[in-house]
Amino acid sequence: MNEDQLDPVIHAPARLRITVTLATLPAGDTLSFTRLQDLMALTPGNLITHLRKLEVAGYIQMDKTGSGVNAVTAVSLTGKGRAALESYTAALRKLLDTVSPEQPE
Amino acid sequence: MEDKRGTDEQLDAQRASDIVQDARNRATRALVIRRPVLFAVWGVAWLAGDGAIWLSVRGQRPYAGPTPAALMTLTFILAAATVATVILVGRAASGVGGLSAARRRLLLFAYLAGFVAILVLEAAIDHAGASRGVIGVYGAAAPVLLAGVVVAASAAALLDWSVFGLGCWFLVVGAGSGFAGPVAVWGVSALAGGVALLLTAALGGRLRGL
Repeated sequence: MNEDQLDPVIHAPARLRITVTLATLPAGDTLSFTRLQDLMALTPGNLITHLRKLEVAGYIQMDKTGSGVNAVTAVSLTGKGRAALESYTAALRKLLDTVSPEQPE
Repeated sequence: MEDKRGTDEQLDAQRASDIVQDARNRATRALVIRRPVLFAVWGVAWLAGDGAIWLSVRGQRPYAGPTPAALMTLTFILAAATVATVILVGRAASGVGGLSAARRRLLLFAYLAGFVAILVLEAAIDHAGASRGVIGVYGAAAPVLLAGVVVAASAAALLDWSVFGLGCWFLVVGAGSGFAGPVAVWGVSALAGGVALLLTAALGGRLRGL
């Protein structure tokens, strides 16, 4: 197994951080776009680009309420996204174990 | 050094693993409410608040009730603990919506409604002609029973066994401390309730590394 076999949607620094951050919240919780941007330290344009890629894959859901200056976008990890992150981290552990197997005593 | 936070740079497995760990730690620090700290705040408030009342009533023969100064102290301590709670929860919960936020609102409403109900019932007991001693026992034990029910019920919903145990302990303290009489009930409540909260905080802090 190599890095090419890891989920390419998640396997990018910014999207990995976003997915892990959203997975910290319990299922059913949402995070506002502004708080997520604050945590990720990304520009709004950069963040929205990564969020759209995750949304297209069905890993996150974005819900916009209100309009104009009162508009609030809530972002949440979907069940599919949570499962994808679990598969990704499992594959990552497997890959790291293959690269540096434990030395026998 | 070039900031590559927003780019699709190549990632090796080790770096990806480091990012997962780092992002998880940062998100936990930022988004998860530090319950051990909250328990410690309320443990100190409980110990100091009920302790202040106990200091004001000890030695009273017959029991006459807490002095205005002790009640003021209790009110100040409760207000300070509430402010600390609002700050701690507000920091972590800022921008977080959905089920947890709704659950927190309902829990707060249940607690406040229960507290108002306790005060109304205390007035009714007084109106019915109960002695100062009976009102004293009720005033000390009823909030502990309310805290027990709210804490145990909210922990049961999340299958949080340590906090469920804490709620059940409050019920034991609330029901049992009344036998100590209207004076000692405050001291028993302060020690049994406050110390239990501080122990839960210490245990939770050790487990979470806070």
